Amino acid sequence: MSAQLQGSPPGEGARRAPGVPKVRFEQVTKRFGKGADAVQALEPISFDIAEGAFTCLLGPSGCGKSTLLNILAGFEQPTSGQVLMGGQPVRGPDPRRGVVFQQGALFTWMSVRDNVAFGPLATGKSRTEAARIADRFLEMVGLAAFAKRYPYELSGGMQQRVGIARALANNPEILLMDEPFAALDAQTRELLQEEIKRIWHETRKTVLWITHSIDEALFLATDIAVMSARPGRIKATFRPEFARSADPAVVASPEFARMKAEIFGLLREEALTAQRQEAE
Amino acid sequence: MMSNAVHASHGAGRSRWINLASFAALLAFWYLITAPIVNGKPLVAPLFLPSPASVWQTVQQLMANGYQGKTLGHHIGISLFRFGVAFALTVLVAVPMGLWMGMNETVKAVLDPPIEITRPMPKLALLPLLIIWFGIGEVSKIVIIVLALFPILSISAMQAVRSVGRRKVQAALALGASRAMVFRRVIFPASLPGIFTSIRVSIGIGVTMLVGAEMIATSSGIAYMAMSASDFLLTNVVIVGSLIMAILGYALDLLARALENKVVHWGGKEG
Repeated sequence: MSAQLQGSPPGEGARRAPGVPKVRFEQVTKRFGKGADAVQALEPISFDIAEGAFTCLLGPSGCGKSTLLNILAGFEQPTSGQVLMGGQPVRGPDPRRGVVFQQGALFTWMSVRDNVAFGPLATGKSRTEAARIADRFLEMVGLAAFAKRYPYELSGGMQQRVGIARALANNPEILLMDEPFAALDAQTRELLQEEIKRIWHETRKTVLWITHSIDEALFLATDIAVMSARPGRIKATFRPEFARSADPAVVASPEFARMKAEIFGLLREEALTAQRQEAE
Repeated sequence: MMSNAVHASHGAGRSRWINLASFAALLAFWYLITAPIVNGKPLVAPLFLPSPASVWQTVQQLMANGYQGKTLGHHIGISLFRFGVAFALTVLVAVPMGLWMGMNETVKAVLDPPIEITRPMPKLALLPLLIIWFGIGEVSKIVIIVLALFPILSISAMQAVRSVGRRKVQAALALGASRAMVFRRVIFPASLPGIFTSIRVSIGIGVTMLVGAEMIATSSGIAYMAMSASDFLLTNVVIVGSLIMAILGYALDLLARALENKVVHWGGKEG
């Protein structure tokens, strides 16, 4: 009762006030280690993710983009600054934030259905309800026929679909995806990119997506943030319109090529810096 | 995957035949060197190695009459009892303790030193002391087996927990799992393949300890039977005893392997 008087749940608040971003990074920094061996992974980073946006973080290896995602997921604490979701500070992992990993995060001992039903069960749904939800999302990613299989019986692409269905099954407010397709072959990756676009159009989820691939980012994102080499900070942001377009030929447009060339130039500089850092 | 399976079953069938042939050759060799071929005398005297036929006779005699007033079943039974109680006790205590050590740094800090210090010690050397403490009854034999298996099972359970993929745990937490649920449905099952490996290792070591313990100060058990028969130069009985121990060890390993394949079907596979 009193909770309702003091304020509405975070998700609700965000929807009622369009001015409040879904996610806000406020002067977030991260330092690993102590003393002389300490590594500054993130410079103070501030940026917003709007409700319903598909935000891609692009950056060279080791620039701290995964760290940024882990901080939003609640797996890691920022050294200073804070992350707000719907105006509330992130304190730890939360089922309102679904996470999809690159690979190796499925529960190998559970059937595909049990993997997807894990979230609903963990958040208090009954067994039958959880199984029903699992089947619905397996249907969405085209794996309904594989519900009783085990993850190790599936191909890498199918395993990633299970991971996506599992994250969606909790109906999270935001999906955090850490290079989910990086370990897949090019053909599978392209198919899954189209599929994730379809799912994003269907569910209208807010997405934070980490990738190395400029094409992937331009194809999927409504917002692109290019990060610098370590210590990571946001170097430039872009608002491509290609993801909203249903026309696949958009990737052949001059605008696509121009933005790609610009991002490529930025990333190349940072990748060279990252290489020098590694050589040191 | 299909072609792999075909190759594997083809290969398995082939090597099964080679296994059988190798086994048959060994038996034939045994038969030849113990058969009275040259001047009606065998190459190896029966005192050192009796013929397969006479060993088989001894098996039948032992089954009919037992050994030293106790049936063969009794000797096998008491050996299995000692091993079974000790093994079950160790698994029930050492595995949960290892899991706890893997989950909790403080518990690890407390329990690790005593386990690590005693681990390299040959446990059979403690048997004289254990006989003084617990007498020559069943307790000292069970304790010696427990002592030998405890460090293996607890340390490997701990390591199994510590090597559970961080991403799996993070995924479970992000899906809203409580700490208890993370343990029950992620960390514990993820640790099972490692635990089963150590269970199989400890079966071999446990049977060795059983034999060691039964050779000293006891009046029943299969190893006792072989040891005491050796005093009377009853080579046949010694060989039967050794064979029974070998079959026992092999059967226990088969059982553990079958259980492993059933329980941890995902072992060694990633997904």
